[in-house]
Amino acid sequence: MALLDICDLNVAFTSYGQRTHVLRDVSLKIGEGQRVALIGETGSGKSVTSKAVLNTLPRNAAVEGGEMFWRGRDLLQTPDRQREALKGIEMSVVMQDPLSSFNPVFTIGRHLGDVLFWADRRSGKRRGRAERRAHIYDVLRKVQLADPERVFASYPAELSGGMRQRVLIALALMNRPAMLIADEPGTALDVTTQDEILRLLNDLVAQEGLSLLMITHNLGVVRMTADYVYVMCKGEIVEHGPLRRIFEDPQTDYCRELIEAIPPLYGARVRNQPVSTEAPLVKLEGVSKTFTRRHFLRPSEQVHAVRNVSLEIPRGEILGLAGESGSGKTTVARMVMGMMGASEGRISVDGVALADQRDGRIDRRLAQIVYQNPGTSLNPKRTVAQTLEVPLRFASNEPKARGRRIEELLERVDLPPHFAARFPHELSGGQKQRVAIARALAAEPRLIVLDEPTSALDMSVQKRVIALLEELRSELGLTYLFISHDLSLMRNFCSHIAIMLRGEIVERGTPAEVFEDQQHPYTRALISAVPVITDEEEARKPKVTQQERQKFLVSSAA
Amino acid sequence: MASLGETAISPEILTARRMAWLRFRSNPVALLGAFMVLSVVFCALFAPFIAPYPEDAGNMIDFATRHSAPSAEHWAGTDKVGRDILSRVIFGFQVSLLLVVGVLGLAVPVGAALGLAAGYFGGWTEFLITGFTNVMLAIPPLVMALAVGSVLSQTLVNAMFAIALLWWTWHARLVYRVAKSVAAEDFVEAARLAGASHMHILLREILPNCVAVISVKTTLDAAFVILFGATLSFLGLGVRPPTPDLGSMVADGRQFLPEMWWGVLFPALGIFYATLAFNLLGDGLRDMFDVEV
Repeated sequence: MALLDICDLNVAFTSYGQRTHVLRDVSLKIGEGQRVALIGETGSGKSVTSKAVLNTLPRNAAVEGGEMFWRGRDLLQTPDRQREALKGIEMSVVMQDPLSSFNPVFTIGRHLGDVLFWADRRSGKRRGRAERRAHIYDVLRKVQLADPERVFASYPAELSGGMRQRVLIALALMNRPAMLIADEPGTALDVTTQDEILRLLNDLVAQEGLSLLMITHNLGVVRMTADYVYVMCKGEIVEHGPLRRIFEDPQTDYCRELIEAIPPLYGARVRNQPVSTEAPLVKLEGVSKTFTRRHFLRPSEQVHAVRNVSLEIPRGEILGLAGESGSGKTTVARMVMGMMGASEGRISVDGVALADQRDGRIDRRLAQIVYQNPGTSLNPKRTVAQTLEVPLRFASNEPKARGRRIEELLERVDLPPHFAARFPHELSGGQKQRVAIARALAAEPRLIVLDEPTSALDMSVQKRVIALLEELRSELGLTYLFISHDLSLMRNFCSHIAIMLRGEIVERGTPAEVFEDQQHPYTRALISAVPVITDEEEARKPKVTQQERQKFLVSSAA
Repeated sequence: MASLGETAISPEILTARRMAWLRFRSNPVALLGAFMVLSVVFCALFAPFIAPYPEDAGNMIDFATRHSAPSAEHWAGTDKVGRDILSRVIFGFQVSLLLVVGVLGLAVPVGAALGLAAGYFGGWTEFLITGFTNVMLAIPPLVMALAVGSVLSQTLVNAMFAIALLWWTWHARLVYRVAKSVAAEDFVEAARLAGASHMHILLREILPNCVAVISVKTTLDAAFVILFGATLSFLGLGVRPPTPDLGSMVADGRQFLPEMWWGVLFPALGIFYATLAFNLLGDGLRDMFDVEV
């Protein structure tokens, strides 16, 4: 008998009289000790499925049909109080966002202690305070938090993202559940930290004999943590099967597209971008940036965001700047854009130093930026046409010519002309990012800074946005400075890459060079942490020892 | 191609604006508030046609009917010179609404402009504006109004000025807070990089994102202005007799308590009704726009 057996589950949401069918005949089975992944793109219904299992659907949702069995017992016929008692004891959930899952005013110990206290009450166990504390220490040790006493007494803000994610896992493991539901664990973390978390989850599942339901959009993560895969699309399970079968021989177009959209790290599908041989457009010579943090009644503190960086970006190049959070890559981009002055060193554009230009600001015809999150980079109260009009107006275009130019720009980014009248909330994420690219193009820049332009998008959308960027570059002769932490994407999209660690560039070269033969141990650690989808890629990734990995973990610094 | 993620959003998906309207419509309290506000405005606009004794709004004296209790002829009774109280309450809404329009018409644009500037420019502008706002907030409004009222002559316009002089501070604070967070958004930086002027950014990029908050706050404020205006005229600093005014009617009626209770009760109910109307509407708008004020 399967541990969890969902048959033809139907769920609909009703908001203000409008009914949306979000799950259609979803069937899913998880056996004892099985690792199952539920994959699909944004809005495909993965999280709704897990919420239905946990009985945490929002008020306006209704289960309209189907059955859900937990160890043979129909969950939908079980009263809410008994289902409540299953939570945390029989099944536990690890959430996506490790910070917002904690209340900042309580210590970690208090969070864990409360959960344990109530779980004990529900299951009628009697345990003293000291016993509970000892149990919590045990669980914290289990998730490889070396110093449980200190973690116990810490406030959530005092821990790094990776440590918080570990605590969340500890929270889920507290009562030895039979099944763990992991909803995009590690997605909000850096690659190296994510890698650690996934390894930990895998180890725990093996040691404790847990069943795992992994919900994710990242197929590399699926390969690492699951044996059986369900693929969801628009509220339906379109395909399911053992991991290897799904990855190597997908039956549906949707699944095939999903797999093909993933940029390969190694192998025959990898693409090399042509290297530009032209003169440098932007040149950084020994550039440093120091921020001064002033404290009240304490000496101020110097933070070195960027240290002695020298770079050249030839015309027509796609230079990738890779690194994890806090490595200084965005600071470099802001200095190149002239949005921020350098503390030391010289930045020149076409041989003219930025500092010599009018108020040190770069000519907007030179550089524009595309932001990471299209949701916040477009003004929600302005239509697409109004947004695109701004750069045109200030580039002193004739009002009549503007309308035509807006149409032209929309066509350039493959959007129909009637989109001009739309507001951002009427567009999908990929469409919004296209508008943001059109806005950058409107100023006719020569350099475009791409600040993780696809990290908020689904893989298939990312693939098309990247194709658009490549096309624009060859047609308009643009130069890109591409900032990202996604190494597999950079492998295929960049003509040169530079790896940053703690404000310094530790390695640079063409992607082919860097990925085949790493000079710096950090580069090795970074590449080896990238989740990949084939055995070939896995085999060709650089091998890194546990020690080397630990050395560069951002999380262990905290 | 379009089978994955990037499909166009279908028209039946709710737009934010339609969502807001649906939220408002499904909120009975908000609808009640809107209806009450409309009724107050209607009374004020058409007072001469609605009031049973429109001539009583002026300097009418009819000693024959003075101090008569509520009856079929005078539903709310009459005052010390025999004027119909119901008619005067209906006319009283005119003064209350004029005061609201005057005060908020002055205070909201001034407060919003200062708040926007402080939130967007930061630095010294922010320091000076927030500093000045805080100083103004430290002045007790009633004392300020009493001072202005006793220095200048007692007119509706002066009362308006006295209230507006301090009222803008609340709007400045609120808009400052919202503008500061909006100014940190990527789209503001993108507009600046596109070469937009400060004026453009302030009025076209940031202000539209503050409109919801400003309108909710303004509606809620209307209630307080009515209350505050009534307080001032109760203290004798509002409009001059014989113009019908709810606050001064309460003050007049007070001398004849408790026997002639209707002289106080009905004008007070008028104040209560108008204040409640704007409060309910404001709460409804707050839920509709989903903002905090």
